[in-house]
Amino acid sequence: MNDTDWQAGACAIAGIGTTDFSRNSGRSDLTLATQAVLAALHDAGLDASAIDGIVRCDMDLVRHNDLAEALGIRQLTYWGECGPGGVAPCAMVGQAVGAILSGQASTVVVFRSLNGRSGRRYGAASTAAGQQLVGGNGSYDEFYLPHGLLTAGQMFALMARRHMIEYGSTQEQLGSIAIACRERAQANPAAQMYGRPLTMSDYLSARMISEPLRLFDYCLETDGAAAVVVTGTDRARDCKNGAVLIHAVAQASVPGTQPGIMFPVLMRDSITALSSRAVAELLWSRSRLSPADVDVAQLYDCFTITLLLQLEDYGFAKRGEGGAFAADGGIGLTGQLPCNTSGGHLSEAYIHGMNHVVEAVRQIRGTSTAQVQGAEVSLVTSAPPPASSALILTADR
Amino acid sequence: MSAAPRPEQPAPSPLAPVTDDPDTGGFFTAAAAGQVALRYCADCGALLHLPRAYCYHCGSWNSGYRVVAPRARVYSWTVVEHQIHPAYPVPYTVALVELADEPAARLVSFLPGRPELYAGQELHAWFNQAADGSTVVQWRPEGSEPPVREVS
Repeated sequence: MNDTDWQAGACAIAGIGTTDFSRNSGRSDLTLATQAVLAALHDAGLDASAIDGIVRCDMDLVRHNDLAEALGIRQLTYWGECGPGGVAPCAMVGQAVGAILSGQASTVVVFRSLNGRSGRRYGAASTAAGQQLVGGNGSYDEFYLPHGLLTAGQMFALMARRHMIEYGSTQEQLGSIAIACRERAQANPAAQMYGRPLTMSDYLSARMISEPLRLFDYCLETDGAAAVVVTGTDRARDCKNGAVLIHAVAQASVPGTQPGIMFPVLMRDSITALSSRAVAELLWSRSRLSPADVDVAQLYDCFTITLLLQLEDYGFAKRGEGGAFAADGGIGLTGQLPCNTSGGHLSEAYIHGMNHVVEAVRQIRGTSTAQVQGAEVSLVTSAPPPASSALILTADR
Repeated sequence: MSAAPRPEQPAPSPLAPVTDDPDTGGFFTAAAAGQVALRYCADCGALLHLPRAYCYHCGSWNSGYRVVAPRARVYSWTVVEHQIHPAYPVPYTVALVELADEPAARLVSFLPGRPELYAGQELHAWFNQAADGSTVVQWRPEGSEPPVREVS
């Protein structure tokens, strides 16, 4: 891949939309998706007839044809999907760009919808009685599940412990990430944790889930959906709220990436760096920007440790110093890198990385509830372990 | 009908590994024989872990399992305090270990309770046979006994 081939700013985000975020939506995943897409279309001043492409996350229960039928789309000319799971959102936007620049579609909806609390809860294990065989068929689960390693949180706890071993990171440093996200949520009435501030004392006295990770190191479980409308920049400029430029998008794996869905990444040479270190290298090269140019970031925060590791992977903090960077106020609203300004997964909602894309657009438009004044370079990451993706949005000036 | 008592739920069984996967089965065959074995390329000697058939280092499809010492060191660990699966009552500990002979190869282990662990601590393998006949390789600190309540 020659980075000079990348067409910076050729496509843009023209519309953003979300549902409300709750613990029990009482609606189907399809209804949530439909509502978020209609909100994004309304935001762009478009109607469903403008859509000819859909990109979904591989874990979404809503298929492209479900959504097309619900919206009354006459004809799709493109559909695609990315994954696994939370790796997808930035890569989904990249896939929409690819579809548009190759002429397969003109206006593409990118969405994520889930009843993550009232429906299928991630991290829950089957409780069926009787012997259960696990693994095989390329999952490699046979090396993990029989030993009681059952959830993403337990895996990230192993990463957090290792970061503590290698660099002396502390629980208070992890707590500072949870608290920063919670502070941002206090300005965001849509956030699930709006009106529920968090102190370090609250954080440290919360129950341990998988040591060293406590309750507030974990993201929320949410029913909701989020969507964006991607189109060519010229077309986006004619939309109601103008164009937010897709300056760069990158997805990348690391050498020795390991197979499977999740746990095999524990076999990689390092478990204190994610594949986002490879995404960062590509993203900075492709964007011709550096960490110092970023005004605001929405970093994937399924757990506090995930955000900490990315501070290092993307070069905002030196290796081993991500915790100190956060604890010293680096991710606060007036810090060097204001992060997760809507509250993130930890305190706004867990829409599997898609609400981060929506908030990154708001920052460029100047409409965030925790606005970074004059933000012109807005970073989003989608970064669980198997692989990662990221996106830089810029102002159309 | 509603007056009929619900039958007692049988105690849940731990999760047992698939042991006949064409790529990984040899690890469990060795475990059943009381050995820790890793898959290596038979031509260039590269470690193929997690186990798989093709060696991208030299292009060989010839590989096999080689027994390594049943010793490992603690690489990381987590004490699980939040119950997920009824067959794995909390608290318990999951350790990530690196093998003494082959530090590039890691495995995970169940340990009951909240054992005192430290990075680099030496562990020894033990072989935990389940009711279904499968064997899981577990690790424990030197001098400690296998847990009374076995997990698989």
